Amino acid sequence: MIDLGLQQEFYKNGSAKEIKKCIQCGTCSASCPLTERMDHSPRELFALIRDGEMAEVLESNTPWYCVSCYYCMTRCPKEIPVTDVMYTLKQKAVEMGTEPKDNKMPDIYRSFQSVVRRNGRMNEAMVMASCGLRYPSDTFLNIPLGLRLLKRRRLEFFPQKTKGRGTIR
Amino acid sequence: MRYGFYPGCSYKSSAGYKESVEAVNRELGIDFDEIQDWNCCGATTIFSLNNEDALLMVGRIVAIANSLKLKEIVTVCNACYTTIRKAKNIFESLPETIEPVNKRLASEGLKLEQTIPVRHYLEILANDIAEDVWRVKRKRNLSSLRVAAYYGCQLTRPWADLDHPERPQILDRFFKQLGFSVVNHAAKTLCCGAAHSLHYSADCNTLISRIIRETSNQGADVIRTLCPMCQFNLDSSQAGIDVPSVPIPYFTQLAGLALGIEPDRLGIRKLLVPLKPVL
Repeated sequence: MIDLGLQQEFYKNGSAKEIKKCIQCGTCSASCPLTERMDHSPRELFALIRDGEMAEVLESNTPWYCVSCYYCMTRCPKEIPVTDVMYTLKQKAVEMGTEPKDNKMPDIYRSFQSVVRRNGRMNEAMVMASCGLRYPSDTFLNIPLGLRLLKRRRLEFFPQKTKGRGTIR
Repeated sequence: MRYGFYPGCSYKSSAGYKESVEAVNRELGIDFDEIQDWNCCGATTIFSLNNEDALLMVGRIVAIANSLKLKEIVTVCNACYTTIRKAKNIFESLPETIEPVNKRLASEGLKLEQTIPVRHYLEILANDIAEDVWRVKRKRNLSSLRVAAYYGCQLTRPWADLDHPERPQILDRFFKQLGFSVVNHAAKTLCCGAAHSLHYSADCNTLISRIIRETSNQGADVIRTLCPMCQFNLDSSQAGIDVPSVPIPYFTQLAGLALGIEPDRLGIRKLLVPLKPVL
C-alpha cells in the first residue's frame, strides 16, 4: 500500500533521505553476505521506499538480516550510508510494531537489551538463556556448544554488573 | 605507556583474550587505566532498536573517560570499536545529540564534555611499539608457523582510519615483524555472520566455511583474530561443518608466544580448536 505521508516522515529520520540518490546499481545487494535470505534485496527495498510502499518496507525482513558488515556502505558509488538506513528502518519498525514475524532477530535484540538493562553489561549465558525461552529448538541445538564453552570456563554465570546501570535503563 | 581502556563485555569470557593482553602488556610495560564502572557499548543491538538509547550508552562511556581525564579509549573488540566510533561521529557531526545524553547522565553527576580518539589495541602493538623494541623482546622463532590474518568487518569499516576497508595490511606487516610466516588470502575482511550465528547457523556456517577453506587452501596453519565475536564464530562452528581444522587464536596470543611467554599464561586452553598441535 502506497503511503506517501509515511514515506516523507521516514525521510526525516537520520540519513534516510540519502536513498533518494540511489541509482539502483545493486552494488549493495551484490556485497551483502545474507542477501539470499532477505525478502527484498537492499536495492529492491530502496526502490520500494521511493515508490512509497511503506507497509511492505516496514514489514520486510531485509533490515533484520543485515549483519552490519558495512560492505555496502563503503562500496556504494553514491556514498549512501546503506547500513545506517537499515538501522533507521529497524528502529522505525520497532516504533510502529511492524517487525517481521518470520525473523528471530527482533526477539534476540530484545533479549540482549533486557540483559543489558538489568546488569549494565551483556552476559552471553543470560542472553542465550533468554533467547532459549523464546526459541527452545535453537537452545537444544546449542547445548553441545554450551557444554564445550563450560568445559573451558568460558561461560560466566554471575553477570558483571555496572553500578550506574540505572542511568542507561 | 598508559592508555585509557574499555574492555567490553566479552573480554573476560573470551578464549584467552584477557589473559594474553595482560601478559603482553606486562612484557612490554603497557598500563591500562580502565574506564571505571563502564557499561555495554550497545553494539549493533541497541542501534537496531533505539537511537537515543544507543547514543546514551556510548555517551556514558565517553563521559566517564572525560571524568578520568583520559586522552583516548583503547578497545579490544571490533564491535566496541565501531560502535563507539560511530557514536563519536554522530556527536561530532550533530552536536545537538549531546544535550539529551547529558540530561540523562546528570543523575550520576556525569557529563560528556568532549569526544576523544578511539583506537584498537592492535594499533598500540603494531604502531606505537617501535620495531626495535619488538626486535629486542622477541624470544621465540615462530617462522615455521604460517598465519593468515582475519580482520572481520568492523575494524576497518566504515568509521575507521587505521587501514583500507577491504584490503588491510596492518596485521601482515606486524606479524612479519614478529617473525611469523604470513599467508596471503582473499577472505581477510569477509563477514563471519556476527550475532546471527547462534540462530541462523546454517547461513552463517556458509560464510564461515568460506573463510576457513580459503585460508586453509592458501596453506595457513592458524587464523589470527582480533575480535571476540569473530573468534567465537570461527572457533565454535568448525565442529559442525566440513572444513579442515584450523585453530583461531587471538593476535595477542601469537604475539605473546613470540615474546616467549608460556602458552598456558596466554589462555590458549580456552580455544575450542586446540592450538598446541600446530606449535
